[in-house]
Amino acid sequence: MPHYEFRLPDIGEGLAEAEVAKWLVSVGDRVAEDQAVVEMMTDKASVELPAPGAGVVVEQRAAEGDVVKTGAVLYVIDTDAQVGVAQAAHETSGAKSPATVGTAPPEAGGVLAPPAVRKLARELGVDLGQVKGTGPGGRISAEDVQGHVAGAARPRAVAAEPGGNRLRLRGVQKRMAETMTLSARTIPHVTGFHELDAAEFSQLVTKLRQAAQARGKRFPFDTLLVRAAALALRRHPIFNASLDEERGEIVMHDDVNVGVATATGDGLIVPVVKKADKLSLDDLALEVERVTAAARAGKSALTDLQGGTFTISNTGAWRGGLGTSLIRPAELAIVGFGQIEDRAVVREGRVVARPVMPMSVTFDHRLIDGEQGLKFGLTLRGLIEDPSQLAK
Amino acid sequence: MVAGDKSDPADVLIIGGGPAGYVCALRAAQNGRSVTLIERDRLGGVCLNEGCIPSKQLAVFAAAKAGAERLAAAGMPAFAGAPDMRAFQKSRAATIATLVEGVAALLAAAGVNTVAGNAWFVGRTRVCVELGEESVRYFDFKDVVIATGSSAVELEGLPFDGDRVVEPSRALGWQFVPENLLVAGDDYVALELAVAYARLGSRVTLVTKSERLLPDFDLDISAAAQRGAKATGITVRLSEDPAPHAGGAERVIVSTARRPNLEQLQLGAAGIAPSTTQLVVDDHLRIDRHVFAIGDVTGGLPLAHRAMAQGRVAGDVLAGKPAAMDVHALPRAVFAEPEMAAVGSTEAAAGEVGVEVDVGRFPLGALGRAVAESAVSGFAKLVFARQSGMVIGAHLAGPRATELIAEMALAIEMGATAEDIALTVHAHPTFAESLMEAAEVAVGRPVHIRLPKR
Repeated sequence: MPHYEFRLPDIGEGLAEAEVAKWLVSVGDRVAEDQAVVEMMTDKASVELPAPGAGVVVEQRAAEGDVVKTGAVLYVIDTDAQVGVAQAAHETSGAKSPATVGTAPPEAGGVLAPPAVRKLARELGVDLGQVKGTGPGGRISAEDVQGHVAGAARPRAVAAEPGGNRLRLRGVQKRMAETMTLSARTIPHVTGFHELDAAEFSQLVTKLRQAAQARGKRFPFDTLLVRAAALALRRHPIFNASLDEERGEIVMHDDVNVGVATATGDGLIVPVVKKADKLSLDDLALEVERVTAAARAGKSALTDLQGGTFTISNTGAWRGGLGTSLIRPAELAIVGFGQIEDRAVVREGRVVARPVMPMSVTFDHRLIDGEQGLKFGLTLRGLIEDPSQLAK
Repeated sequence: MVAGDKSDPADVLIIGGGPAGYVCALRAAQNGRSVTLIERDRLGGVCLNEGCIPSKQLAVFAAAKAGAERLAAAGMPAFAGAPDMRAFQKSRAATIATLVEGVAALLAAAGVNTVAGNAWFVGRTRVCVELGEESVRYFDFKDVVIATGSSAVELEGLPFDGDRVVEPSRALGWQFVPENLLVAGDDYVALELAVAYARLGSRVTLVTKSERLLPDFDLDISAAAQRGAKATGITVRLSEDPAPHAGGAERVIVSTARRPNLEQLQLGAAGIAPSTTQLVVDDHLRIDRHVFAIGDVTGGLPLAHRAMAQGRVAGDVLAGKPAAMDVHALPRAVFAEPEMAAVGSTEAAAGEVGVEVDVGRFPLGALGRAVAESAVSGFAKLVFARQSGMVIGAHLAGPRATELIAEMALAIEMGATAEDIALTVHAHPTFAESLMEAAEVAVGRPVHIRLPKR
């Protein structure tokens, strides 16, 4: 076969599109079989796609930052340096992506779009037949095409002022912007603050960590926080639910899947520890370590980024104080933890120094009221101040 | 190929420096590819050297004479005397030289390596270029673009003899006006030459086996072409074999089909299915991953503007850009009497594919500017899709028709409707107003003509 059109495979559970994060080779480069050719960004996961065979990359059909639909041609690789016969070309040309070829005029069942918009669609790999035109008579504008790519019909805001160094919003940052905007716009957030006596909790973590290290294992601090959250969620199932706005239904989740907010160089990522309430403590530690390490390296598998039902955000390791958090749609709550510090507290009428961990419980007031929020916070507080149940 | 043959690498090798090839070279170079362009004759190809450009110069020269004669009736002293064809040929040569030098300068400035010679394939990635007698060069290419153009085809019974019976390009170089000229053909080339020489003083007979002139145009355009030819003094004979008419003619021009220049390319050596008819390309102008074809070799209408559009697309595809031939409106221009032009669908063609249409036809007799210029025989005929109201075709006859058609090409590409065109103010008094007026006819409220009661 003289050349091979590499199409974007379905790299996640039924994902419709992905963004080209980075080309790892250039046009004209020779690649070996299974050599990573392009890094794709999907719903917060970054995936490297290997070459299907050895050859020369002869064409890249999308630029970095472009969103490509599953099944569209990403690049073309010449798997044989020699020119094949004409017949082969016609066989392959029959299978080309509709977005990259000429369009039919409207009266021939084609689309109504001016030439510059048709060009833009080719560049973005957009099939104009899938784009809804907002102009007169359904005319498709450049903004319609861009809106289609962005998954939103509203036109992009364009800053009027020139100047400054402009960086394209993309990848993890772009997803963070979209998710957080949606969260802030749609969810009425309420946050309650708690101060937890973390003396026993700290000792327990230290003990478990030393035991793990003796076996050559790691024991992430967050392990016990995930476990505490999982146990609390079992007792307060509304915190492990989500809101299906479209259907007007509250979805009570069977699984307790706890997301662990993780800072990366590029932005926030929330890998998920699945069935956190069912894992043994050793398995939980392994899983927390696995998903957060992958996230920090930007190598999360897509499945590890999906399916979360609740999120914890621990800024303690970064010497962070306490702040409020934004809930990840369509989850209903998030808990934040700050750094454990010795504070002056009153015990039995005397001021003593105790290690205190600040905690914030943020919930969606559309479905959870203040009393429920407080009770959930108190449950968590109890589990952490008396951590005997956590180590079971 | 013999082992040890020296060869040069060529990133992009383009065979043929006509409108397709040189435009492709400029665009590919603009995109950062390193381009080698092989031309066996002169840069600019048929279009620049012996087609579009010189034929328009001849048409304008002849039209000026006709115009000067018409002015006598309008109060200007009559033009007298025979045209000086030697002077014309000098100015024609100067025009061509200017444009060829311009193309060469553009190519040089773009860093294109231009090589003079005949090229053919000797392997899947190699061509041989014959630079002169016993001197050849080999190039090993990464990508190759075939842009070798087309040549005139003889008519059975009327073989070219290089002197009396000639192809159209030869007739542009005549230093004289033949007294008695036979033009064989039905296409715009035949018509343009017939009109030009009739205006210059030849007694012209235009003969074709076809039932009408410009048979691939709208019926109204064919009728206008025939009226215009007769008005110019041309004897038009339809549905007749031209050969028997050739005997008494001082000169014979044969314009029938054109055939892609493929024989000498040795396509088989490159693994390309050899063809003498055309090269079938996809929307990216590819025959194969590394083999492109543009211009007349791809079949279809042998028009320079189509070739140049293909050259631009191929030049982008060569650089890995997602370009494609995506043209909804390909205009055609006829520089005869009257000027005629068309773009998009005809009424008849729309009917064949089941598209219901509304037609707006405006006669130039109702247009102030046309009356002022005594050019009242033309019309603007616009075809609209009934359902959407969008313009899908335009068929124009009359002065400046070849310029006005650009507005309609843009209208089609942009999806303009009859209302859009009718509501767009056009400068008065111009021929362009006829487009607005025709659109008003289509929407049923023309002010300058009365619609027949239905």
